[in-house]
Amino acid sequence: MSLQRLGLVASLAVAVLLLFAPQIGPLIHLDTSIVSEVLLFAIAAMSVNLLLGYTGLPAFGNAAFFGLGSYGAGLSIHYFNAGFFLAIVIGIAAALLGALLIGPFLLRRRGIYFGLLTIAFGQVFYFIAYRMTNITGGEDGMNFPRPLVHLGGTTIKIDDVIFYYLSYVVFFIALIAFWYLVRSPFGHTLIAIKQNEVRVRYLGLNSDRFIFVALIVAALYAGLAGALYGLLIMFTFPLALDWHQSGDFVLMLILGGQGSVWGPLVGALIYVVGKDIISTITPAWQIFLGGLFIACVLGFPKGLLGTTISALLARERESDDSAEAAAALEISVPR
Amino acid sequence: MLEHLLPQLFNGLILGAFYAVVALGLSLIMNLTGTINMAHGSFLTLAGYLAFALVTRGTSFWFALLVAPLLTVAVGIIVERTLMRPLYGREPFYSLLLTFGLSLVAEEVYRLIWGANGVPFSPPPSLAGTAQLGFMTFPSYRLFIALALIVVIVALTLFLTHTRFGLRLRAAVLDSEMIAALGTNTQILYMINFGIGILLAGIAGVLAAGLLGLSPTSGNALLMPAFVCVIIGGMGSLFGSIAGGVLVGVAISLTTLYIPAASEVAMYILMAIVLLVRPRGLFGEEGIFG
Amino acid sequence: MKLNRSTFVKAAAAGAAGFGVPAFVPRLGEAADAIKIGVLEPATGVYAAPGGNEVNGMEMVVEAWNAKGGVLGRKIELVKEDEQSDPGVGVQKARKLVNQDKCVALIGTVSSAVSLSVSGAANALGVLFMDTGGHTDDVTGKDCHWNTFRVCHSTWMESHAIGATLLKRFGKKWYLITPDYAYGHALENGLKDVAAKAGGEIVGNELTPLGTTDFSSYLTKIESKKPDAVLVLVQGDDAVNCLKQMNQFGLLKKFPAGGPQVELEPLWQLPPEAREGYWGIEWYYKSDLTLGKSNKAAHDFVAASAKKYGRPPTARNCFGYVGLDRVLTAMADAKSTDTAKVARAIEGVKFTSIFDGSAYFRKEDHQLMWPMWVAKIRPNGTPSDKYDLFDVLDTHDADSIEQSVADKAKVCKLNYPA
Repeated sequence: MSLQRLGLVASLAVAVLLLFAPQIGPLIHLDTSIVSEVLLFAIAAMSVNLLLGYTGLPAFGNAAFFGLGSYGAGLSIHYFNAGFFLAIVIGIAAALLGALLIGPFLLRRRGIYFGLLTIAFGQVFYFIAYRMTNITGGEDGMNFPRPLVHLGGTTIKIDDVIFYYLSYVVFFIALIAFWYLVRSPFGHTLIAIKQNEVRVRYLGLNSDRFIFVALIVAALYAGLAGALYGLLIMFTFPLALDWHQSGDFVLMLILGGQGSVWGPLVGALIYVVGKDIISTITPAWQIFLGGLFIACVLGFPKGLLGTTISALLARERESDDSAEAAAALEISVPR
Repeated sequence: MLEHLLPQLFNGLILGAFYAVVALGLSLIMNLTGTINMAHGSFLTLAGYLAFALVTRGTSFWFALLVAPLLTVAVGIIVERTLMRPLYGREPFYSLLLTFGLSLVAEEVYRLIWGANGVPFSPPPSLAGTAQLGFMTFPSYRLFIALALIVVIVALTLFLTHTRFGLRLRAAVLDSEMIAALGTNTQILYMINFGIGILLAGIAGVLAAGLLGLSPTSGNALLMPAFVCVIIGGMGSLFGSIAGGVLVGVAISLTTLYIPAASEVAMYILMAIVLLVRPRGLFGEEGIFG
Repeated sequence: MKLNRSTFVKAAAAGAAGFGVPAFVPRLGEAADAIKIGVLEPATGVYAAPGGNEVNGMEMVVEAWNAKGGVLGRKIELVKEDEQSDPGVGVQKARKLVNQDKCVALIGTVSSAVSLSVSGAANALGVLFMDTGGHTDDVTGKDCHWNTFRVCHSTWMESHAIGATLLKRFGKKWYLITPDYAYGHALENGLKDVAAKAGGEIVGNELTPLGTTDFSSYLTKIESKKPDAVLVLVQGDDAVNCLKQMNQFGLLKKFPAGGPQVELEPLWQLPPEAREGYWGIEWYYKSDLTLGKSNKAAHDFVAASAKKYGRPPTARNCFGYVGLDRVLTAMADAKSTDTAKVARAIEGVKFTSIFDGSAYFRKEDHQLMWPMWVAKIRPNGTPSDKYDLFDVLDTHDADSIEQSVADKAKVCKLNYPA
């Protein structure tokens, strides 16, 4: 079986497996909500992937957009009784607003400085959410209900299982959109920027504009994930904006493999499910989770997925399909 | 407010010296090998706990101050040889992830050995009082910290500028391939460099334990400010880290005086300003010291 | 130490499978018929110590009840999860405990944010939640629920207890060191309330960011204002730092210091020179005022807990103990584990326990109405007991320090299901 077809089969297998997560999960003590969380964090990790894996920009502050999404949704429900879908839209809008606000500043720098600026701005948002106790609830955070959805004549209560399937649909739309995006001319330009931005400029393209759009798309993904996460736990809190949260997304991406479309899901799966299962087994779970990270870095230099694919590619080195397969699997050229 | 300005400034300088030493250690490690040491705070905590262990076994504070950092360096070297070495030459994200994992493990290990609750650790009675400095009374221990840190910084500077090893170290930051070609064992260089970075963390850690609490999580609080100092001062510049540390210390103290609510975020705003105006930091150059 | 890639991959896969296997096997030792209570406490992070002590208190309850045959003929079993002081994790673990582990009630939390998020999650899941250690007023205030109860004192109670003692003993001019977040401001407001009613004056108020490690900038300002007392509102690690540094600046010798609430956990971390002042405390293991002179249950608890855990029990042990004990009692009284029935069986019921006097969970907001005490710290304990740090001076009973039912009714609507 060619690598390309293997990838397709694997993708379908994952899609089917996830479809039955609410039924399979309980067999290994995994609550449906946790699998929803995996999907949502995977979307957030995709936002980091777009910037880091494909454009070469260290996005260390994406939790700023994630948190804005969460607060946007929560505040709109708490104060204005916004409906379920309206809350999500408002959350995304909040994240986009944030990106428009800080984007022009971020554009002025590249490399590690870009990353540090994103952290700095993220912390400013965190600080604001933390201090505005009267509006945001401050460090105590804020509860809000999950609005009922009115469709036609019926009223649907979004329970954990329905929420999961909603997340499932959103995740796959996001994934497929991501896949198309990075194959498009826009996506190829981003990859080119990662390889050599100066060359891209010499070719007459305004790299700033491309990076800005990438930032907007990343904010959209992260904001969507944040809004849904807020609705998942029916709570919003400042830690969602914090650099530790950003760091978690980056970790998931590195664990899974940056520069590949499925990497974020793999990383989110390892991180979220790993932490959930290990912390249930023992209170000393930090040792095992930390050990897992160390083992992954040492054993899987390109992330779990990235290394596996590279290994498989290496075996197909002689085959004529290898170059095509690399393109089909959207692996950006390894450094 | 003016009568508060001088004491506050003084406070800021001492706080700054503290950040400077921690930032220096981080910077040393980062400059030479590109390793982002997210476990630096864990080494600080380790040194504090080792000092605690020594003191509870009857040694004096001074003995602990001397020995605990050295023991911490020993641990650091083991870590470097086993976990860091495979990562040299790779992108910094991997060292970030690995050292983050290490910090998780370390925190839990400390919790298992010494308990989740913190342990008491205090400076010796000779340093417990206050000193009259004319414009203010000041805790003797803080003065001692300031002096100790200045001694450390001066010693490090002399080491780097006046010894052959220091020369090789500075050369390696500029071009490690060349220096390897010229016959220096770069692996030993990296190892000793890491050791010096951890030594700085160790000394700061023991001093911090007497000033702040000592618990499994206490070292982590100093990590982010230290990074910010490195950035503000300029990555690649050791002098920059010192300057960055002092600047952040003073900035936090002054903000506390005039706009207390913003003092926590002042550090990040300062960092953002520096990054936007002069991203290589105040003193950053392409890897040149000083 | 070069790792061979393929052997490593195989080892990692085996390891991953190894992690998965325990997840398949139901938790060891689970009796099929046991009543499972879900425990959400931090086992990692800055609140691991108080969290662990709350769990210890609960474990003693389980031992005692199981020795008498359990509840309704079924053994009690605690299913513990680490909420990691993260509200999101708290909600997810709450769901796991109820949906996967079939727990009939939830108990625990230390951080107020987690108390709030878990309270909401428990409400959505329809299970009882006994908040043992989250102090924010909102849990029994604007975020109250019919299924949520709280053991520890509210923030309002804390500020009013110490306020009353300070007025009585020191005077009316206070200098505050307030952590700049919701909890700190709530305490600040409570103290302002006390001051206003008694003609007191707050001569200075330093707002310190959370996680402040260096208080020197704030401390240098205090001397010139000459307050009657310095109130330290910071908690936990911050309190440790602040007190340590206040001591180093010589302030503890110059001004009486105190605060609305202090716990043994951070105090045991401090060097003796920094243990000073007058503090609100929520319970204590060694005072007639807190335990009741002839309260056998209390003294037995203290002795048994000290023996089992090697250290005297703290207020946190007490929260865990009282909270779980009342839940189980209510289940026995209601002859059911149904949440609404148990909730009805808890509220309003007067009971005695391991503290002096009697108490009850108020019907209107589910706050436990029991006294708070104020103690002076003994820096080195007593010659026979180095842990005995509190010299308990005053008792403030619940009605004098908590908001009235009328005031609370303005913000709290329990909304029992029909």
